[in-house]
Formats: sequence, structure tokens, C-alpha cells
Amino acid sequence: MNAPTGLGALVSLLIFPGGLFVLANGLVFEWIDRKLIARLQNRIGPRWYQPLADIIKLLAKEEVVPERADPRLFFALPIVALAGVLTAALYLPIAGRFVFSFPGDLIVTVYMLSLLTLCTGLAGANTRNRFALVGATRTLTQLFSYEVPFFLAMLGPAAVAGSWQIADIMAHNSQQWLLFIQPIGFVVALIGLMGKLEMRPFDAPEAETEIVAGALTEYSGRGLALFYLGRNVELIGGLTLVATFYLGGIHNVLDYFLKTGALLIVLASLQTLMTRLRIDQTVGLWWRVGALLALAQWLVLIVIGEVAL
Amino acid sequence: MKIGSMLVDILRSLVHPPATQIYPSERRPAPDRLRGKLHWNPAQCVGCGLCSKDCPADAIEIITVDKQNKRFVMRYHADRCTYCAQCVKSCRFNCLQMSPEDWELAATNKQAFTVYYGDEHDLQRLVERNTQPDAEPAKTG
Amino acid sequence: MTTGSVPKRFSIPIGPQHPALKEPGHFDFSVDGEVVTGATVRLGYAHRGIEKAAENQNWVQNLYLLERICGICSHIHATAYCLGVEKLADVEAPPRAQAIRVLIAELERVHSHLLWLGVTAHEAGFDTLFMYSWRDRETVMDILESLTGNRVNYSANMLGGVKFDVTDDNRKAIERGVNFLETRTRHYLNVVTTDQVFVQRTRGVGVITREQAEQLGVIGPTARASGVLRDVRVEAPYAAYRDIPVQPVIETAGDLEARFVVRLKELFESYRLIRVILEQMPPGDLNVRMPRRPKAGEAISRVEAPRGELFYFIKSNGADNPERVKVRTPTLCNMASVLVTAVGQQLADVPMILAGIDPCFSCNDRAVTISKAGDATSAVWSWQQLRQYSQAYYRRRL
Repeated sequence: MNAPTGLGALVSLLIFPGGLFVLANGLVFEWIDRKLIARLQNRIGPRWYQPLADIIKLLAKEEVVPERADPRLFFALPIVALAGVLTAALYLPIAGRFVFSFPGDLIVTVYMLSLLTLCTGLAGANTRNRFALVGATRTLTQLFSYEVPFFLAMLGPAAVAGSWQIADIMAHNSQQWLLFIQPIGFVVALIGLMGKLEMRPFDAPEAETEIVAGALTEYSGRGLALFYLGRNVELIGGLTLVATFYLGGIHNVLDYFLKTGALLIVLASLQTLMTRLRIDQTVGLWWRVGALLALAQWLVLIVIGEVAL
Repeated sequence: MKIGSMLVDILRSLVHPPATQIYPSERRPAPDRLRGKLHWNPAQCVGCGLCSKDCPADAIEIITVDKQNKRFVMRYHADRCTYCAQCVKSCRFNCLQMSPEDWELAATNKQAFTVYYGDEHDLQRLVERNTQPDAEPAKTG
Repeated sequence: MTTGSVPKRFSIPIGPQHPALKEPGHFDFSVDGEVVTGATVRLGYAHRGIEKAAENQNWVQNLYLLERICGICSHIHATAYCLGVEKLADVEAPPRAQAIRVLIAELERVHSHLLWLGVTAHEAGFDTLFMYSWRDRETVMDILESLTGNRVNYSANMLGGVKFDVTDDNRKAIERGVNFLETRTRHYLNVVTTDQVFVQRTRGVGVITREQAEQLGVIGPTARASGVLRDVRVEAPYAAYRDIPVQPVIETAGDLEARFVVRLKELFESYRLIRVILEQMPPGDLNVRMPRRPKAGEAISRVEAPRGELFYFIKSNGADNPERVKVRTPTLCNMASVLVTAVGQQLADVPMILAGIDPCFSCNDRAVTISKAGDATSAVWSWQQLRQYSQAYYRRRL
């Protein structure tokens, strides 16, 4: 797979499948998520343009920089966060197309996807608001709890394929769905994704009834819009990653929408069924159950590997 | 102990339409007893003023046009009214009714909330009286 | 970037503007990490001067003023006032009126408890339960609307009786609604006691022991969840409760789960009472004539609001207006328990503990005297002092 050059590279980066397409897709998926949750709660839910309208409104709003915050960090963090997740999207088969690919890009992608959470935490700490500080602490605490099981769940398919390149892994498991071979890994990956996206029940970092909006409490205008966009892109990236590894890979546009859409429906239903967990419960759950499950999956893989050899 | 005990509700919602009603395009019929805008029938009124005395919001004014012939006009402030229907109960001659149909009262100007009730002839007399310079001093400026 | 001095005590302010509280009240929780180490409360943001206003309006007008103390338990306020004034005037409302008063009070309790269920589920982050319980609450709101003509301030009471009768159509609608709500309530009781994730957030959280409850003077469902039987309907029956005894619901655990269970089981009791009243509705008049000026004297009237005991003191000097109306709402009695139970709990549980007493801030805010910590003498200011303070305050700000 050769990296595109010249005009082709620009188009790939900015319009399709990177850049604009990912952003637009993120907004659509956010709408589907909100609409589904609303319908499952017997409400009507937002209209299709609501996420876009939110972003446009936020972009048009004045951005208030808190007095004691470092303004450079305050402006830079949302940009870094969005850039990180957009970069991650380039290494993923969004709409069935890789833009870039190199051996070891799985590690880069997973790290880039974590960048948003890291930036959110830093942004909370930087704004020095009480709610934001508590939110930032919770965001980072949660990051350390779900990241290890999620990573382990991602490495399972990689180990089977014997490669750390996403394209290779996808090619390896395009014949069979790893969902059936490594079900535990799939569950851990999916729940880990919910933790990453701070979806219920893992939304303690932004629990509105306790700490207002968590780490992003002081963000109002453009910064907030960028963080929202970043979260949407992360949603796409995470769904694509899980679909690539566990649902037999993504080979064309239709495949992409079907598989990520199906995962999104599962995520939305899970969210409606859950109560928010306290942060200590979240950490306990991930280290006691999540990490152990992921390790058990690894054990199974190693044993099977030995037997097969 | 189980997880997802609301699953049945969620599945049911998939086949049932949302419970939310989109109000202006979807209207539920108002119940018969709904307390809407106040209506006044001058025929029976003796001008005792109990309605205006008992009104907790000062929404009713009974204006005497001709005391001998029992001619009254009512000025009703729909914006002050709390729709408690105490006036309806206070009136011994059943002159007052709250309409169950007349309840969408939003307006863009304040004049719409001051409603005059009464015989057209009496209203005319009231207007004439108010425009006479000695009845009410003319406002300057 | 200056860091300044690191405060020894990190405090999380909740309110007066905060998404957890839909009404203004200020709580200051000092936390150590996620654990609450101290709590203070400051009330009085929604003081509306209703008691003073009641002295300037006549007896009939006050009925509607006092009804508006609380939006959720409006009827019970009006009932308490009516019972008090009727006591002053030596008048008793006819039995049918008393039954209708109790009927509406119980319907109101159903609506209030369902509302509370949704609010507290929302504080816990269980929005699905919130949405469904509020959807079903519409059933009882519709019943009340068709019965009284309004969804919130029912204005069903008048001095000496009630305004309207319960017809056969009403009765059928109520029975239908109550049957539906009963199955739903059973489902919700099942959800709050068996849902693993939800129970994690409620069981053993915010425990008020029986001793604490008695010491702090906790009332209403909050007390009954701690094993203390405090229910005016049982202890000092009024209106139609004298003929229809109430079986109180008692739980002993004292935690948040018990508060859920008590309120939901009380709903079944309310459904039973509603059915009994509809069956045994006494015939007769709806109201009796009331004198426009009750005799001089004092009356105390106690009723059981959805949140606990509601207390009215009414003083008449035989004039057009009451000389004094004093109201004590249940939230005030329960507020102290929040401060005691919050200490030692996780910050995440605080909104639920707060919502657990079903607080109503604007009901609660009557006159306020503020005593500074450590200063035992509370200051009651005269009008003159208040004026001086306000002038000085605004001069400072200019």
C-alpha cells in the first residue's frame, strides 16, 4: 500500500477519507447516537442537523479565557486533541481506505486516540476551575484504568496476525470474524471504547449533576467545538478500529457503514441501560474485571498458539 | 440482581412512537374543566364586586356605568389572572365562567391582555365618559 | 503563572447555580480527593416574602397565594391553610369535600413521588429511568387536569369545602390511570431494588441511622426510611384520613435504597387510598358557607405533604386579613440530615443524598437569619439597620 503523493495526498488528507469526511461522518454518528438514545427513552430526539448547528453556534461564540489559565495552552490543547484523532483516522480503514500504513501503525493509532483524553485532562487542569480540576483528575484516573485492558484487547488480534500493522491484521482476519474466536477480547474492546468516549456508565469525568461539565467546564467557544469534534472523530476511529479487528475488517464504504453503524447501535443501547458509575467503581471494574478478562483472553491465545505450533 | 432491568421498556420503545407530542402541530383536546380565559355575562350582575375583592391577582375590575339601572362593565386583565376560578365561585349569580376552549392566550402586545366585557352600549358610554375632559384630567405631554 | 498558596481545604461549591439543583441553594462541600470531609449549607436565595404578603391580603386571596408556595405540593398547602382557617371559624367542611381533598392530596403524592423518582435517578446518571418515570407521571397529571382543570396549581380547595365534584367519568379515568400506574410502579420498584448497576449507587449510601433520624428531627419519607414512624396521616389524622386509616410504610435500612423503596411502596398505599375513597365517597354538599372574617384566635394545622409534615400557624384578630401566617415546610427539617450524612461519602453520591430528602428550596426559604460560624448570637436586623447595610453595600460597589 503506497502512500499517496501530490494532489492525491491533499485530497486524502483534507477531504476523503481523512479531514472533512471524517468530521462530517462524526457529526452524523453523533446524531445517530443521540437520536437512538432518545428513541430508546421514548423521546423524539434531535433533528439531523442538530450536531452541526451546535458546532456552528459554538464556533461563532466568544471564547472566554479564564484569568488564571495559561492562554497558549488553553488555545493549543483543543487543536492538538483534534489533530491527534484526525491523524489516527488516517491510519484506519475509514470507508474502507487506508491513507497511510506502516509496520507498527497500530501503536501510533491507539496512542493518537488517547491524545484527546490526555488533552481534555490537561485542559481541565489548566483552567483551574474547581469542577474542571475534579473532572481532570477523574478523566486521567479513568484513562489509566481502561487503557490497559483496551490495549490488551487490541493486541489480541495483532498477536494472531503476527503483525502490528493494521492493514496486515485486517488482511489476516478478513476470512473469519474474530468476534467469534476472541469474544472476550471483543467485549473488553467495546466496553473500553465506551470508557474512552466517556459514555454512560463511564461518564463520571463529566457527570453534570456533580461537577457541571467536568474538565471542559471553562471552555465555551471554539475550544469546546474542537473538543466536541475531536470526540466525534474518536467515536469514528474507535468504532472503525473495533470493526476492523473483530468484525472481519472493512473493505468498502458499505461494509464500513454497516459494521460501524451496528456497533454504534450496540453502544447506544448499552448507554441507555446503565447508571453512571462512581470513579472508584469504574477503576475497580476495569482493574478487577476488565484487565483480568483481557489477560484471560491472552492466556487462551497463548495456549492455542502453543497447541497449534 | 441483574444488569439492564429496563431492557423491556427500551425494546418496547423501538416499536412504539415517542411519548412526546409536538405541541403546535399536535393538539390534545383540553379537558372540559380546564380553566381558561374568564368570560363575563353582564345580564345577571348586581355589581357586588365580590369577584374583584376575592381575586388574588387584582385581575378583575367592575366599573359602574349607571348604578340605578345596574349597568356595569368589566375590565379583565388576562395577564394578571392566575386562573384559580375563585371569582366563578364567589359570584352568587353565576355571571362568570372560565372557558375550556380559550386557553392559548399568548400575544405579542400587552393590549391583548386587557379585555373589556359588557354591553356594547355600556362600553360606548364608558369610552365617552373617559374622553370627557372633566371626567378624567387630560394627560399632558 | 502564579500558583499562589495551596489551600488546605479544597471545596466544591454546589449552587446557587449548579446543574444538580434546579432551585437556588448553596452547599459547600470540602473534599479530600473524592471523599467529602465537611459540608455547609446556606439557604434563603429564593425568599419571596410570602408570609408577609399573606398579612396584606384577605382570607380568600391568601388561599391562592399560599398554594403557590410550592409547585409540586400546591394542594396540600391550600389544604393545610383551609383546615386552619376552618378551625378558626368553627366550620367544618362537609364529608364529601373532605374526601375529595384527600383524593387530590393522594393523587398529588403520586405525582410528587414519581417526580422525585425521576429526579433522583437523573442525579445518579440513570436517565432512562428518569425519562420513563416522568412519562408515566403524565398519567396522573392528566387525571388531575381533567379533575381540577389545571395541571399544577389545582385550586381545588376553597374555604369551607372544595370547588368541584368527582363525577362517574372522573372516577373511571382515575381508576384506569391508577391501574396503569400500579403496574408501572411495581416495575420501577423492581428496577431500583434489583438493577445491579443502580443498586451499587444506592445501597449503603447516605445512611441515616434511626438514632440520627430522631436526633436531627428528620420527617416524612426520609424518616420512614430510617425506621422512624412520622406520618401526620397516622399520628394525627385530618380530613378524610380519620375515616380511612393509612398503613404507614417503614423501612429500617436508612440508606438511599430504603428511601426509594419507601417512596415507591407509599405509592401503592396511595393507590389503595384512592380506590377506597372512590368507593366510599360520602354523598352530600361540596362546601358550607364561610364567614368572611374568622373569629380572633390562633390555629395550628398539620398535614402530611409528600415530603413530610407541613405545619401552618394562623393567627386571626377578626379582621379582613390574617394577622400572621407562619409556614414550616418539611425540607427545612430534613436539611440537617444532608450535612450529616454527606460527610465521609464520595463526592459522586452527594447529589443523590441531597435529592434523597426531596428538597424544595423555594418552599423552604421563609425568613432568614444568618449566624456566622463561631458567633453564637444570631443577628436579627431592624429595618433601619437593613437600610444602612444596603446603602453601605452599594456605596462600596460603586
